[in-house]
Amino acid sequence: MKAIVLAAGRGEGLLPFTEGEQKESISLLGKSIISYSLEGLKKAGIKEAVVIINDRGVQIDVDLPIELVRQKTPGITGAVRDGMEKIDDDYFVLTFGDIVSPPEFYINLMNAYAVNGEAVFSLVPVNEGIQTYGLARIRNEKLEIVKDGESTLALGGAYVLPRGDFDDLLEYLSRISEKAKYFIWSGEWADIGYPEDLINAVEMMLRNRKTIIGDSLISRTAVIGKAIIEDGAIIDDFADIKGPAYIGKNAYIGSFSLIRDYSSIETGAQVGAYCEVSHSLIQPKAIIGSKSYLTYSVIGREANIGSSVITANYPAKTSRGKVNKLGALISPWKEIKHGSVLEPGYKV
Amino acid sequence: MCGIIGIVTKRREGQTAEIAVECLDRLSYRGYDSVGVATLGDNLEVVKMKGKVEDFSHKFDVNSIRGKVILGHTRWATHGPPTDYNAHPHTDCSNSIAVVHNGTIENFRELKAELEMLGHKFKSQTDTEIIPHLIEEFKRRGMDSFSAFKATVNAIEGTYAILAVIRGDNRIYFAKKYNPLVIGIGEDTNYISSDIPSFLPYTKTIVVISDDEVGYLTADSPLNGGVYIEHKGEKIEVNDRIKIINWDAESASKEGYRHFMEKEIMESPRSVKETISGLLADIDEVMKAVKILKDSRRILIVGAGTSYHAGLLFSILLQREGINAIPVIASEYYNYRTSTDDSILAISQSGETLDVRLAIGKFKAEGSKIISLTNVIYSEISRQSDVSLYTSAGPEIGVAATKTFTSQVASLLLLWSAIKDEDFSYLRNAHIVVEDSLSLSGKASAFGEELAKQSNAYFLGRGLSLPLAMEAALKVKEIAYIHSEAYPAGESKHGPIALVTQGFPVIFINGEEDLGLQDNVQEMKARGSKTYSISINKSLNTDREILIKVNDKRLFPLAIAPLIQILAYRSAVIKGTDPDKPRNLAKTVTVR
Repeated sequence: MKAIVLAAGRGEGLLPFTEGEQKESISLLGKSIISYSLEGLKKAGIKEAVVIINDRGVQIDVDLPIELVRQKTPGITGAVRDGMEKIDDDYFVLTFGDIVSPPEFYINLMNAYAVNGEAVFSLVPVNEGIQTYGLARIRNEKLEIVKDGESTLALGGAYVLPRGDFDDLLEYLSRISEKAKYFIWSGEWADIGYPEDLINAVEMMLRNRKTIIGDSLISRTAVIGKAIIEDGAIIDDFADIKGPAYIGKNAYIGSFSLIRDYSSIETGAQVGAYCEVSHSLIQPKAIIGSKSYLTYSVIGREANIGSSVITANYPAKTSRGKVNKLGALISPWKEIKHGSVLEPGYKV
Repeated sequence: MCGIIGIVTKRREGQTAEIAVECLDRLSYRGYDSVGVATLGDNLEVVKMKGKVEDFSHKFDVNSIRGKVILGHTRWATHGPPTDYNAHPHTDCSNSIAVVHNGTIENFRELKAELEMLGHKFKSQTDTEIIPHLIEEFKRRGMDSFSAFKATVNAIEGTYAILAVIRGDNRIYFAKKYNPLVIGIGEDTNYISSDIPSFLPYTKTIVVISDDEVGYLTADSPLNGGVYIEHKGEKIEVNDRIKIINWDAESASKEGYRHFMEKEIMESPRSVKETISGLLADIDEVMKAVKILKDSRRILIVGAGTSYHAGLLFSILLQREGINAIPVIASEYYNYRTSTDDSILAISQSGETLDVRLAIGKFKAEGSKIISLTNVIYSEISRQSDVSLYTSAGPEIGVAATKTFTSQVASLLLLWSAIKDEDFSYLRNAHIVVEDSLSLSGKASAFGEELAKQSNAYFLGRGLSLPLAMEAALKVKEIAYIHSEAYPAGESKHGPIALVTQGFPVIFINGEEDLGLQDNVQEMKARGSKTYSISINKSLNTDREILIKVNDKRLFPLAIAPLIQILAYRSAVIKGTDPDKPRNLAKTVTVR
């Protein structure tokens, strides 16, 4: 069976960040977001995926035969229909490339399909920002897609569907859902739509991870707590990787810097001396100048944050945050002037 | 629910029967009150018995059973007690057709009467037995085997997965509607079963059968026509359907869920629906129980663990009607002396709980009438009872009782309405209340996530909410290993409140408004506790709340039960414990 993986959305909740880079290309713990679903599909026995993209393309870090299809028809309905042209079987897997979940999620999906041989929907219990999800409920043992907040069961972004004709994907899903099997997934799951989702996803992924230290260069005076440190990373004198944290390949952490509480410094990013980073995601090759403080922030690929840049996180309005904290969202390749103080929820 | 398996092989000297028994063992989660096997060689041989698969392999020398076509069945009785006669496979008059079946045939009484008029002799009380006789009848009228099988499938109404063997054919005929059926393609041996895990050690190549399909299976590879399937007369291209799966047996039987506990919580609406319709179909038994209960001076309601909580809730309902009902923790039975004027309601999911058996043994000897409510037809406790009532929740694998508790509560609500001479029709919507409650899983999960960070918690309630608070505390204790205590909310200020400090979690179960719970919330808040509530229809001023709308207030316990289970489940998952196998606990407790 083939899978259609959607990665051509506009990423509205993450604007202006997503003007420069496709949401699904954002790096999380060393891999692009879409790679998590592709890897899960591969482990669930899918041999080939059709990935729907737009002009921005997408970064894929998984070894799986992939056909890239540029979206021709607009909207999510168009994306799925464009993908379906490449499907010959009666059934296909449809997944959203912005879902971050372990392979078990996709294995369970295929499992439910194998047992029943019919359409399968995954449902995920949600509590924050309920209105931002597509929701479903169960009525007389049948799945029903609901339009407004009568449920806290979100559509999980992974389906097994029959090939069919439709003018509107949601209407098609409603039609299929009546006869579909469903299962509840209550393991790790994040639908990346807003900056807080990225911050929460880093926390989710680091929560139960053990310390692993690769072939890296760690100063004898550095302190390493709960952290995953990849090959080629450099941790300089007196740095404190208190963690839980991820330090990517060839990343650099300067002297006396403190990296704590669910932070991820992706491949090749550099954090200067005397910095503090907490609950933040720093994308590949971004540079953080010395004496900066980053909290609840997302720093884009190759962005350049000057020295002594301070982010503030409270009070902020979020769509899906468990806490009302949000720092800065800095788009890829942007520069922030030395000495800036960024308000909570600052976006550039 | 039942499990069925068929095996067809080309091997000459096989251990086919042994493999069939191993498959049945892996199917026994689908039912374990009787087992049977039919083998077709030169003759058709059937061995079957009441009991578990392991008893079967002790009783029969499995290796001596030889044949190239084998059917097996493991049963979960819903109609007719589990006896040797009622066990599958069932055969026709001439003992040349054998059938195993999972499901219910709705029009079997009519068909049976018709077949009896035509001279067919029946040996069991099951609906299944009409199938071999129907095939026999159609064959007698000149049809070939497959046509006779198809004509039979057309004649029956209901839900089914059917496997049939007919002497002279090295084939297994099959049909499916609603109940699952999967083919496993092996080397010179093919399998067909209720689920994949049963044959997973032998093959990972499968073909899933869809609803309304019929066909047959031989020992050949599908490329050589070993699998034939048709849908409404049209042949299905089997090769397009072949799939190779790559996971382990246990995860396959969870059908997408991570744990049986979560799967079983989600099955609660169906369990409740089937429990209510099962009791309504057997309303004479219910009315017999009602008569005994009404004529008693006192009613002792005996149960252990979760069943005790269901019983406690029932005792409150009765006491409010002025009926003298006494909830009894089964293991404390010796504190009570009963007489012929008293009756006992014994509640046990398994029907085997030793403490409950001991209790009813004593009370029976004292002359009291025994009514039982169990989830296993003809269980030990049912057999010792004057009237046996059943929940139809289906087998429960997770050690923590979930759907069976909700089904017990539904049964007791029905019994309560029968005692009050009330119209039952409101109970037909009971499963919808459970479904609506399950759609709030996200909120209960969020409570569970917060609770997972704590090492202590209080669950408080008043009135009918107290037994639910006790059940919540028990669930959280047994699967999430968080020390949690339940108290009547008013009682909490007479001692327990001393433990409440800043951030101490207190969860209020607020099922019935206007019982004064609001004051208790204020008392707890004043001591800095973090307050939560699960409320029906009316808000309570807690820090966080799940508010559920229930139109018919009588059904409110059915809305709360699934949410407290999800709360506990999520705490366990976040803490990383295995909710299906809590430490030191067993599903059925048969020790003192």
